[in-house]
Amino acid sequence: MNSSRRGFLRGLGAGAVGIASGAAVTAALERPGHAASAPSPVFHGLHQAGVVTPAQPHATHVALDVLATDRAGLEDLFRTITERARFLTAGGVPPEIGIAGPPADSGVLGPLVPADNLTVTLGVGASLFDGRFGLAAHRPPALTAMPAFPDDHLDPARTHGDLMLQLCADNRDTVVHALRDIARHTRGGMQIRWRADGFIAPPRPSGTPRNLLGFKDGTSNLHVDDRAEMDRFVWLPASSWEAGGTYMVVRVIRMLVEFWDRVGIVEQERMFGRRRDSGAPLDGDHETDVPKFAEDPVGEAIPLTSHIRRANPRTPASEPSRILRRPYNYDSGVDEVGDLDMGLVFVCFQQDPDKQFAEIQRRLAGEPLVDYIQPVGGGYFLVLRGVRDATDYFGSGLLSLT
Amino acid sequence: MTKPHAALLTVAALTLAGLTACGHHSDPAAVEVSRGSCGVGWKSPHGGDQTVQVHNVGPVTMEVELVDPATHGVYAEIESLAPGTTRPFHLVFARGSYAFTCLPEDSDAETGPVVTVKDGPATGAAPIVPVSEVDLGPAVTAYRANVSAGLATLAADVTALRTALSSGDRARAQRAWLVAQMAYSRLGAAYDTFGDSADAIDGLPGSGSFAGLRRIERGLWHGESLPLLSAVAKALASDVASLRTDFARARTDPNDLPLRAHEILENTLQFELTGAADQGAGDGLAIMSANLDGTRMVLDALAPELRPRYTRWPVVNDEVTALRKLVAAQHRGDRWTPVGALSRADHERLDGALGQLLEDLAPIAAIGEVRRTQ
Repeated sequence: MNSSRRGFLRGLGAGAVGIASGAAVTAALERPGHAASAPSPVFHGLHQAGVVTPAQPHATHVALDVLATDRAGLEDLFRTITERARFLTAGGVPPEIGIAGPPADSGVLGPLVPADNLTVTLGVGASLFDGRFGLAAHRPPALTAMPAFPDDHLDPARTHGDLMLQLCADNRDTVVHALRDIARHTRGGMQIRWRADGFIAPPRPSGTPRNLLGFKDGTSNLHVDDRAEMDRFVWLPASSWEAGGTYMVVRVIRMLVEFWDRVGIVEQERMFGRRRDSGAPLDGDHETDVPKFAEDPVGEAIPLTSHIRRANPRTPASEPSRILRRPYNYDSGVDEVGDLDMGLVFVCFQQDPDKQFAEIQRRLAGEPLVDYIQPVGGGYFLVLRGVRDATDYFGSGLLSLT
Repeated sequence: MTKPHAALLTVAALTLAGLTACGHHSDPAAVEVSRGSCGVGWKSPHGGDQTVQVHNVGPVTMEVELVDPATHGVYAEIESLAPGTTRPFHLVFARGSYAFTCLPEDSDAETGPVVTVKDGPATGAAPIVPVSEVDLGPAVTAYRANVSAGLATLAADVTALRTALSSGDRARAQRAWLVAQMAYSRLGAAYDTFGDSADAIDGLPGSGSFAGLRRIERGLWHGESLPLLSAVAKALASDVASLRTDFARARTDPNDLPLRAHEILENTLQFELTGAADQGAGDGLAIMSANLDGTRMVLDALAPELRPRYTRWPVVNDEVTALRKLVAAQHRGDRWTPVGALSRADHERLDGALGQLLEDLAPIAAIGEVRRTQ
């Protein structure tokens, strides 16, 4: 074994991992007290899980910088992440290594690691295509560093990254366990740059979950079960090495909730363009009613500057910029003046971040809501195509490029 | 693209009994151990990923090991199996011979009947020959000689620091402080190595009365008067002298050495690379470099016993060397880059390299732990 190449691979137990894994085994235990409902997402396939997978309640988005210094080191890193993801998403019994070292697993999930609907989704940032790994010539034109938009307050410490690891599961401890496991096995290969933990609220009382401004968020999303829609807006088409992948935009958006809570309800609703209680557009009665912008050209019912109208004006010109949103709320401590640091980890998937996400941002520039929200971090990432089978690994397509 | 539902039902009933699942089997009957009868009832063992339950039917607590009867290498152990309790051994059994060794409190070790696994994989869990107190004797001797010499160096460096403080030249005193601080940090005084002396010599604010090297650092970099710091240095010299006397008299627990292999650098990661211990000098990387020397000293002492037992020993050596190089790159002229001034990329490289090294040092504590062999 070449020690420098495999330097960040934990030697102990690595070979034995997965012996007892098997999704069926653990699926039976993964939801105590619940009948096994939806089966866990499969790991192998053309597309990575965690994109069209119905959003699990808990997530973490972790941006990482690669420490490997050459192509071989990068391949080792990708292979290790793949091995861990394969085990963690299937679940199973971690190997016992006897007196050869500390326990191979953190034990956070008990002796039998449940799959718990975990998805591990890996993206690469534009910075991976600098000179380090001989990939400079292969950066897809659509993969750029996330630009700073006019209303952004980006903190460099929470922006960009060589890699983006999205971990989502039904329970918080499963997300934490997966992050600790992957970080432990890749120490020396990559280092966490920033992370944002998210959760999705249950429907209150029904329909789309609410964000921390109290509004239902994501009502008019793309339909993940509409294959044609996914192929049209989300998945990258065949004909390139990225085929089967998609672009992921992550935006950590702080909400100034104290300020927001001091705003009258009418003003709040006019900023969104929806009722806070029901989620109905201001010209309708129900959450699912489609706003009739064409019948309201001056914005009498739904102001022209409202968030839903700017984001999706529902015109032929705006249609191509639609995105698949998969956002999470975040709630993480307090700032210097004792105000709460909470908001949205906005996550969306699309074929082209500039033509889709950024196009929407350009329409939103200057919307009244910007006084109450502050994008503070995030990045653009290319979600690699899925891992085909037990011999494939994340990034195999990328690393086959010469 | 969905997994079969049927499988859920068939397995659900099995899983409750413990670690029982597809491809992973338990013997239904526990193997019994007691004084005079070590490993009764282990019949027709199979290879592969297995769990063997061991039940202590005797009246005394005992340590139980699963061993390779040919070499007495240990596959797995239960440190103390109390009377009436059952604990699992879970590991991958390769084809080969296995036996239980029972080490009851206050009586001799005995090894039970040998069982042979005829199916299963060619390679499984690897047995490790346990390290005894006698085995670690030369390591302890070498370590103590090094620490004694290091303490003499420290005493001389503290004397030089006192001279520098008396000279009234702050810059000279700052340089002398770093020499003494590094001499101490090179001793690898993690956790309880030096007991109360450690706090007196190297304590941080908040840990009792703040005195010693870090206190002097604080004063030197915050404009405190040198005569005042001379008084602190005088007390420091006396604390170092006491430590030398105490250390010469004290016994070193052999178990400390394998633990120090990673504990010294655990402290470095927590206190130096974070900048938490810095009292103004910004010399955390200098101290890290001294801590690496201290770790190297422990590893060199352990090498004869641990190298043959730990397959990643050469990797550890390479990683120490690589990390020293990374740290040395931040030493220009007589200046060390303060950790707060490291570029993000340099900080991440140091953090990652140290984190990886710690992962690879940690097994040394487990493998090198002193075990009863008689």
